[in-house]
This record gives sequence, C-alpha cells and structure tokens, in this order.
Amino acid sequence: MNWLNNLPLKRKLTLIILLTCSVVLLLACSVLAAYGLYDFRQAMVRDTTVLADVLAGNTRAALAFQDDNEARQTLQALESEPNVSAACLYTAKGNQFATYTRSGTKNIFPSQPAADGYRFERDHLVLFRPVMLDNRRIGTIFLQADLRGMYDRLRLFSGIAILVLFGSFLVALAISAPLQRPISRPILALAETARLIAKNKDFTVRVPPQGRNETGLLTDAFNQLLVSIEERDKALRTTNESLKTEIAERKGVEQKLQDQLSRLGLLHQITRATSERQDLQSIFQVVIRSLEDNLPVDFGCICLYDPATHMLTVAKVGIHSETLAMELVTNNQARVEIDQNGLAQCISGRLVYESDLSRLPFPFPQRLVQGGLHSLVAAPLGVESKVFGVLLAARKQPNGFSSGECEFIRQLSEHVGLAAHQAQLYEALQQAYDDLRQTQQAVMQQERLKALGQMASGITHDINNAISPVMLYTDWLLEHEQNLSPRARDHLATIQHAIEDVAHTVSRMREFYRQPETQLTLSPVKLNQLMQQVIDLSRARWSDMPQQRGVFIKMETDLASDLPIVLGIESEIREALVNLIFNAVDAMPEGGTLTLRTKVSKTTPPLVHVEVSDTGVGMDEDIRRRCLEPFFTTKGERGTGLGLAMVYGIVQRHGADIEIDSATGKGTTMRLIFQVPVTAPVETNKPETAFVIPARLQILVVDDDPLLIKSLRDTLETDGHFVVTANGGREGIEAFRAAHADNKPFAIVITDLGMPYVDGRHVAEAVKKMSPVTPVVMLTGWGQRLMAEGDIPPHVDRVLNKPPKLRDLREALVQCMQSAKS
Amino acid sequence: MAILNQTARRRATRLQHVLLVMLLAVGLKLSAQTAATKEYQIKAAFLFNFAQFIEWPADALTNTDVPFRIGILGDDPFGTALEDTVQGETIHSHKIIVQRSREIGDLKNCQLIFIDKSEKNRVADVLSELDSKPTVTVSEIDGFARNGGVINFYLEEKKVRFEINPVAAQNDGLKISSQLLSLGKIVQPARGGK
Repeated sequence: MNWLNNLPLKRKLTLIILLTCSVVLLLACSVLAAYGLYDFRQAMVRDTTVLADVLAGNTRAALAFQDDNEARQTLQALESEPNVSAACLYTAKGNQFATYTRSGTKNIFPSQPAADGYRFERDHLVLFRPVMLDNRRIGTIFLQADLRGMYDRLRLFSGIAILVLFGSFLVALAISAPLQRPISRPILALAETARLIAKNKDFTVRVPPQGRNETGLLTDAFNQLLVSIEERDKALRTTNESLKTEIAERKGVEQKLQDQLSRLGLLHQITRATSERQDLQSIFQVVIRSLEDNLPVDFGCICLYDPATHMLTVAKVGIHSETLAMELVTNNQARVEIDQNGLAQCISGRLVYESDLSRLPFPFPQRLVQGGLHSLVAAPLGVESKVFGVLLAARKQPNGFSSGECEFIRQLSEHVGLAAHQAQLYEALQQAYDDLRQTQQAVMQQERLKALGQMASGITHDINNAISPVMLYTDWLLEHEQNLSPRARDHLATIQHAIEDVAHTVSRMREFYRQPETQLTLSPVKLNQLMQQVIDLSRARWSDMPQQRGVFIKMETDLASDLPIVLGIESEIREALVNLIFNAVDAMPEGGTLTLRTKVSKTTPPLVHVEVSDTGVGMDEDIRRRCLEPFFTTKGERGTGLGLAMVYGIVQRHGADIEIDSATGKGTTMRLIFQVPVTAPVETNKPETAFVIPARLQILVVDDDPLLIKSLRDTLETDGHFVVTANGGREGIEAFRAAHADNKPFAIVITDLGMPYVDGRHVAEAVKKMSPVTPVVMLTGWGQRLMAEGDIPPHVDRVLNKPPKLRDLREALVQCMQSAKS
Repeated sequence: MAILNQTARRRATRLQHVLLVMLLAVGLKLSAQTAATKEYQIKAAFLFNFAQFIEWPADALTNTDVPFRIGILGDDPFGTALEDTVQGETIHSHKIIVQRSREIGDLKNCQLIFIDKSEKNRVADVLSELDSKPTVTVSEIDGFARNGGVINFYLEEKKVRFEINPVAAQNDGLKISSQLLSLGKIVQPARGGK
C-alpha cells in the first residue's frame, strides 16, 4: 500500500471513489449473475420436467400398446423445442422404446434409464421421469436439454455487466473529480503553502480560509501557527542581527586588544633587546629590525639630528629597507635636509603622521613616493625635550598606520631615545672613569718618582764610584793585554757592554725625577735584530743557570717579519728587554716557556708591539698595579726593585707605552708599544710576505649589516672565492644546515658577533655542532677587548677586528685553512 | 479423454450388436415353440390396457367396491396369461375379476368381454345381447368391428394390431381415449348391418 500513500491526494481520492464503485458494482453484478444463473437453471429444470411429463402423458398409450411409431412421432414434436437435444422412451423393463435426436446432433442414449430426477452435466441437463398409467409405471422418459442457452445468457449477462461497469466507471470518474475537490483543494492549498514556506523561508504567506469544517479548522490552525512562527522568526532575526553587530564589535575590540598586546609584546622585546646593548648602532639595528619584522613596516630607518647644520644623518636603515633605501639614497650616512616638511615638526618634538605622502610637494616625501611608500610616521628620538634623532617608519599603502600603531611608534621612539641616551651616558661615564684612573695613576707615579729620584741620585754616585775601576780595568785589559785568549776577550767585551749598561742605568737613575729630554738623539732601531742580541746576552741567565738547578726554560721567538723600524736608543731598549727577560725567568722557578714576540698592531696609526711572555706564577691585580714602582719587589733580598722602574723610565723617554697582561698562575706578558715614525725611516720595511691566496673556497658570510656583507662579498669574490651571504644568524644557520645536508658544506664561516635574535656565538656553536672541522672566523668591533680579556668565544677559531683589513683576512683564511688541514 | 471415451463407446456398441444377434437367435428358437403363447400374452396385456383408456358411464361402475369384470366368452386362449397380467392391478381403482363362460348371459355384468374365435358364428347374437350395455367387446374375428364390435385384434407383420369402432362404443355410452383411437385402426359400422 506504499504506492497508495505516495500518490497525490487528488488521484488518491479519485482512485478510492473509483475502486469503491467498481468493487460494489462488481459484487452486485456477480450476485445478480449468480442468482440469474441459479434461477435460469431452476426454470430450465422446471420447464424440462413439465415437458417430460407432458411427453410421458402423450406417449403412455403408445408405450402401453407398444406402438413405437406412434411414440417416435410424438417425440418428434420436440423439434419445436430447440433446447432439447435428445429424448428417449424406455419400457418398464428398461428397454429403449423410442428415441429422438435433434437433427445435426449425435447422441448415445443410456442403455438403461437412471433413477428419476435430473442432473447437470457439462453441456446439458439430463432428466429422467416416470411414465405412469393409472398409478402404474409403464416406462421412463429421458430428456437431454442443451445448456448452450444458459451459457449464452450468461455471456450476454457478463457483457452487460462489463458495459455497466465501464459506464459506471466513467460516470464515477466524471463525478469524482468535482466530488473530491472539496476535500483535496484545502489540503492541497495547505501543502502548497507549506512547500512555499519551506522553499522561500517566507512566513508571511497565508492559506486562504476554507470555511467551518475540519479542513477549515486545520487551515485556521495552520495560519495561526504561521503567525506565531513569523513573529518568532522576526524576533529571532532581530536578536540575530543585534548579536551579529555585537560580535562584530567585540571582534573589533578583541582585534584591537590583540594588536595592542602584540605591540606591547614587541615593545617589551625591543626594550629588552636594547637594554642588553650599549652601543648606539646595535641598539638602532635591533629597533629597526624588530619594527620591520614584527610591526611590520616596509621601510624603517633612524636618523640622527645635527643641530649645528640642521640636517638629519641616516644612522641605520633596516635590512629590508635597504634596497628601497638605495633607491632613495637614504642609506646609512646619507643626509636628509630638514625642509618645511613634517620633519621640522618632528624635530620640534612631535610625532608626525603623513597618511598620504603624494600630497606633499617637498623633496623628501617625493623621494619616498618614488620608492613606492605612501604613508609615513616620523617619531622624534629625544631625552628631556631635546631631540637628537628621528625614527622613520613607512608603508607602501596610503593610510597605512592605525592610531594604535602611531601610538606604539611614539612609545617606541621614547624608549629608543631613552636607551640611546643611556648608551651615550654609559659611554661618557666609561670614558670619564678611564680618564680619572689614568690621571690618578699618573699623579701617584709622579709623586713617588719625585721622592725616589732624590734618593737615587745619592745611590748613583756611590755606584758610579764603585764601577769606575771595573770600567777602567776592563778597557785597559782589552787595549793592552795582547795575549788574551779569544774566549777571555769575548767575555771581557760582554763585561764591557754590561758595564756600559750599568753606567747608563745609573746615569739614568738621576733622571727619574728629571723631565724626559726631548732632545734625545733617536736612531732607527731594528727591534727583531735587537731581540736576537738580547737572547744571546741573557743566555746565561735563562739557560745555563736554571739548568744547574735542574730547571728547563724553553725560549721561543715569534717575530713579525714585516716589522717597521722604530726610532729609539738601542742600548736603552736592550737594557729594558734584558730586564724583562730576567723578570720572566724569575717568575718561572719551576721552568716554562719564555716567548719573545714582535708584531704590528691593527690600529691606525699602526703601533709596534714588543712582548716578553712567560708561563710563570703571574701577578695579582695589586702587584700588577704596583710593579712599576721603584724598589717594589716580590723577590725579597734578591731583588732591588729597580728593574721595572727602569724599564718604565726608558719607555717613557721613548714616548712609548707599557702594558702588562697577567693573572695569578697564568703567566705574564709585558708589552712595550712603540710608535711607528710618520715619515718612513731610512731603512724601509721589508716587502710584505706574499700571501698564498687560498684555493677557491666556499665561504658563508653571516652578518646583519648589509653594507659589510656587500663589501665582504665583493672582496672575497675578487679573490676567487664562492660566497654565500646570510642575513642574520638564523638565516645563516639555516643556510649552513641546508648546504651541509646537500653535502656541499662551506669551507669556512665568517660571522659577525653582534646580531639581533641569534648572535655570532650561536652561529659558531651551531656550525661546530654540525661540522667541528669547519673554521669559524668572528668579525667584531670588540676584537681587542675580547683578546685582552682572553675571552675568545668558544667554537671560534679566529677573531678579527673591524674594520678587517684584506691582509688580515687573507692571513686569517690561510691560517685557519692550514690549521683545519693539520 | 474424449478419444478414450469414443473408443470405449465404440466397444460398447459392438458388444450390444453381439448380444442382439445372440438374443435374436434365442428368440427365433423360442418363437417356434411358444409363438401362440407369446401372442396371447400381448393380447392379455392389451385387454388390460384398453380398460385404462376407456371410460365407462358412471352407473356402470358406481363405486370402487364394485369390481371390474373381464369376461372371456368361449374357449380361453390366454391360459394363465390374463390372470398374470392383472394380478394385483386395478382398473380405475377397481379390483379386477376375470370370468369365463360359454354363455353370454353369465357375462352380462362384465365391463369388458373377449369373444374368442370359437364364438364366430354367434357374434351377431352376442352383440345384440349386449346392445345398449356399456360393455367393451373385444375379439379377433375378421369384420367384428365393422359388424358392431368395439375392438378387434388383427396381426400385421407379426405384430398385434387392433381395429376400433368408435360409433359402437359411443352407442354403448363408452368414452374411448383419443390416444387409444390414434393407435387403432378406425372402422365404421356396416350400414344396416346392425
């Protein structure tokens, strides 16, 4: 019955009506037909019985008198009864007496009559009746009636029934359409309305009213339902709208808060980063880099303001802004004129936001516009209302900055101002402190020497007296005693040198309190040569004497091959060096290594360093500070306390300087620093040792300073190397890792020390972790300080000072590659 | 099935034919012995049957207690055949009594009288005796019906037939059924023969 359920209502109703009518009609017709058939049969039986009885009456005489002709003639009368197809007369004994067969039919009669009565066979009715004569049975009559008539009638009846059925079906069909309409129309209207509502979600539709019956009630209820749904829908929509608005507002607020938070985080990050740095350049660099990466901006730069010229000098341009800056020619050190644009306002201490630069006719904004930048924020960098610089942030799109971002930049600029100011203060403080200490030391020295000088003059006199005979006899012996063995003569010469030195020394004793004579006759001195002399001169002291005690001192020399010639008094310098060697030997009672070194400093103008280093007991800070004082000794009875004091005097007379690197147990390095004469002395420097330019190397250069990267790349590529540059530490590590993974590792890594986020130490560590043999050269402006403090970072093979000289760079590469090979 | 039935029917027909031939053979032999007996058995039955198709006047058979008398005048050709035929039967609800006599006077109460051939010469007398009496006279003498008898047997192709003189019957107040009349040969009385 599913298909019935799925039928449309109209058709369903029609179908029900038609089905009902048809079934009832069919039932009625069937009953009528059955009854008709039954009646027909009864009538037939009746008629045939009557006929048989009449025939029996008419033929009894013939039967009684055995006149079969007569009987046959009587039976022949059946011709007029078309239903009867056969008849037969039997005698009382059951013999056939007379028969009748309808012409055209063929019959076999029963040979014996059956019991009286009738029965229906397939095609006919068979009837047996007695033939009576005066209550006596004299025979039996048999009749056979054809049922064709009955069947004809049945067929006719069926035809009529079908016609009636068909007709009534048509009539029902015709009538059902208008009849089912009152039921189906309202329901269909309901269904159509429901469909429309479901389709259009329009609850304002109503079903037309249908009167006061059940469907009418249903329609009314449906309409009422619609009214309430519509109201609810409306209310829901209103609520939804207001909710949406609220959500949008909240989202906006949340977004603002989020922005604020992220900017706060950025500010915090920048502030922390700046607080870790104390030089302006790196502070600026961190600020610009963070701005570019995290706000972000398309262009960031910091300019310093020079009130004297009323100009801005670009101090730092962000790495991403570099190309842009190149186009704008506002790269580092470029100058920007302060015209009547917003920069003037900014210099006066106000934050300036230009939302559309193309509207401004001044040259600087126009330059920015040419560079594709359309909105600009300029924030003053200042301390206590004194502006010393400007922070510029620009974006490509007009109106690129929100008020929150402007405020952020303003706050940032204040922080940067403060940090910069602090850095400046720190620098000044450091300078002042250093000055103060030097002054203090100088004053103390002066006071002591003054007192000591007076005392020394007396002593000098005594000593000069005492050594005079030695001098005299030695000279005499050398001049007059011809039979001296060459060895004796040699020893005497040494004694003569020594005595001369003593005399010099003593003569200088007086000069402790004397101002250094500027009129000293200085001659060119080859320090390397002098070094060899000194080693020979003091051999007894550092080699023979310790060996007698079973102590071994190893003498090493590290002499710079291209050492410039300095101006000085050879004997004095020799004396000072011998003194230093004696001290070094004394500092190594258990033996050790004594190193004599000469080298040229990287500074401009270059200085010549002469170093005497031992691996002995070293000095603590107190001793180190006082060791130059006369009569200060750590050697007890053996020491005079004059050695280093004399050295100091000699050094001062040469306008040179002395440095002492020492720590307890770490040995001592005494460094004499001579100035190289501005005009080259008569003997020029030896030609520079030709450096073997290293083979074509794959070099990774990591720096956050684009200009340095560029200069390094240019220089190294000129030398034939293959250079990969990385902007910042993280990128550098990634580049190295990628190359390492590709099995094309870099031969050497040159990295900057100070970089934001990931500095040179991390880069070196990462590189060594991946490939321990790859040399790492660190470039830094702090190189000297690092070396002085013995603070060469771990994982770094070589530290080079900024600015690196090509020569140093080559040397470093050669050395690193050699050590890497070994 | 139909074919089977037909075959069965054909067999049955053949059997009937065989039986018929056998019966005929027996019948011929029997008829040779008892042809006369058989004839009179039929005639006895006919006598009884005549009574069924004839109505007597009301005064002849007043009530059912009065028996129906069949008289045989002269020699009796029937033997026991007539008694066998009417044994236990009734005619118009009357019991049947068979009377035999050589004298007509003995048989004046009979409703039906068979006059044997032996009385051939006395027929005219007998008929006059019985004149105006409702009595059905039956005989087997040529010209009996024409001479005033009611029914007369004769043989035609070895079959028993009869003549009827309806005028004689009507004169005697008897009503003969049309069915009987249609079976018999109608004979008109000789003019002046009576």
